[in-house]
Amino acid sequence: MVDDSGSIRVFEDLRERGRQAVESGRLEEALALYQQSAEVAEAIGDPKLQDLALCNVAAAAISLGRGDGEVPRLREILLRNESIANCCLAAYNIARYYELTKDFKKSLFYARIARDRSEVLGRIDWIASSYNQIGNALLAESLIEEACRHYEKALAMYAEPSIRRALMLDNLGYCRVLQSRFSDGYSLIYQSLAMLRRVGPRRYQLSPRLDLCFAHLETGRYEKARNHGRVALAIAEAAGDSDATKNALYLLGETANLLGDSFGARRYFSRLQQGFFPDQPYLPSFLLAIDVRKLINLKA
Amino acid sequence: MATVEKIRQVQLVGRKIRQLRKEHKLTQMELSARLGIQQSDLSRMEQGEYRVSLDTLFRILAEFKMSIGEFFEDVARESLTPRDIGLVREFQALTEEAQREVQDFIAFKRSQGESQDRPDEPD
Repeated sequence: MVDDSGSIRVFEDLRERGRQAVESGRLEEALALYQQSAEVAEAIGDPKLQDLALCNVAAAAISLGRGDGEVPRLREILLRNESIANCCLAAYNIARYYELTKDFKKSLFYARIARDRSEVLGRIDWIASSYNQIGNALLAESLIEEACRHYEKALAMYAEPSIRRALMLDNLGYCRVLQSRFSDGYSLIYQSLAMLRRVGPRRYQLSPRLDLCFAHLETGRYEKARNHGRVALAIAEAAGDSDATKNALYLLGETANLLGDSFGARRYFSRLQQGFFPDQPYLPSFLLAIDVRKLINLKA
Repeated sequence: MATVEKIRQVQLVGRKIRQLRKEHKLTQMELSARLGIQQSDLSRMEQGEYRVSLDTLFRILAEFKMSIGEFFEDVARESLTPRDIGLVREFQALTEEAQREVQDFIAFKRSQGESQDRPDEPD
């Protein structure tokens, strides 16, 4: 192992730049920076730094939808159990991977490990993120009350205005809307949107925009729903986020239908069907006839 | 079917999924395996306790594609109250112009609702 403080500074600098790139929504750049930091860590020869770098690379790759190869390596870090911090990061990233690949039970399992490890470390921001991650898995499993409790804990711990807090506010807000606690829901989601406008790039507004579209739809404010839905669709398409695009097209179709614009509704539903469900030509007619809002979970 | 009233009764849809599953002689285990979800989740869905993604909902519809027409006709019929049905019939009995006036009045009432208790928002 080479004791090279200069290399460690380079390593930390690359990680910090990677973190800033993530905060700015520049995930490709973040991934490249983290990969460079992994090379530096390997040159230094410190296994803990190497694991840390691997966790960072995995986090960016998972967010970009390229996490398939990362999970075995993360699991190995977790099983080796050499550093609580690295175990926590590994578990958290595995939970994120399973969330994005829609295996919510596994996501919940690993998010709970991340919470336990972060509590041992006493890092409040990591504990809060773990609670948020547990909340996400519970919400996807339609365990709304339990999800709320975890989001509330996360928010109570993490007060700093940030993308992370904004997304927690949005998650809890969506739950409140599902619980028909609309006033609370609006307050939380609008706080989220306002915070994201201050501290984050536009792409992070996607989730609160979708949730506001849904909330306004649920409370009969169809013009507002349409405005937020249109912004959400534009962001989702620009970001190449297919799940969000589907949800936006569905919500906009539902909004148009409730506004009495059956032509517009059919147009959105047809885009949804042709773009994502080409083998189900009956879907536009089905969605025009059946309101499935009470069946749908935008976070599942 | 495009003019059928909108339906929001999730429990009814859950019951319909269970009915279709039984008609297709599928166990919850078999159907959930085909859908790529857990049996416990399908059970909760049939009880109206489980919300799903659009992907999962549409997979369920694809599974029962031969019964789609029946699916929403039944659900629509069961979800309308006698009052709803009476209103639709009275509306249909009006002239085209009168129907437009009713629609304008509904739009007016809706806009009144929107202007009340409106939350502050950035745009």
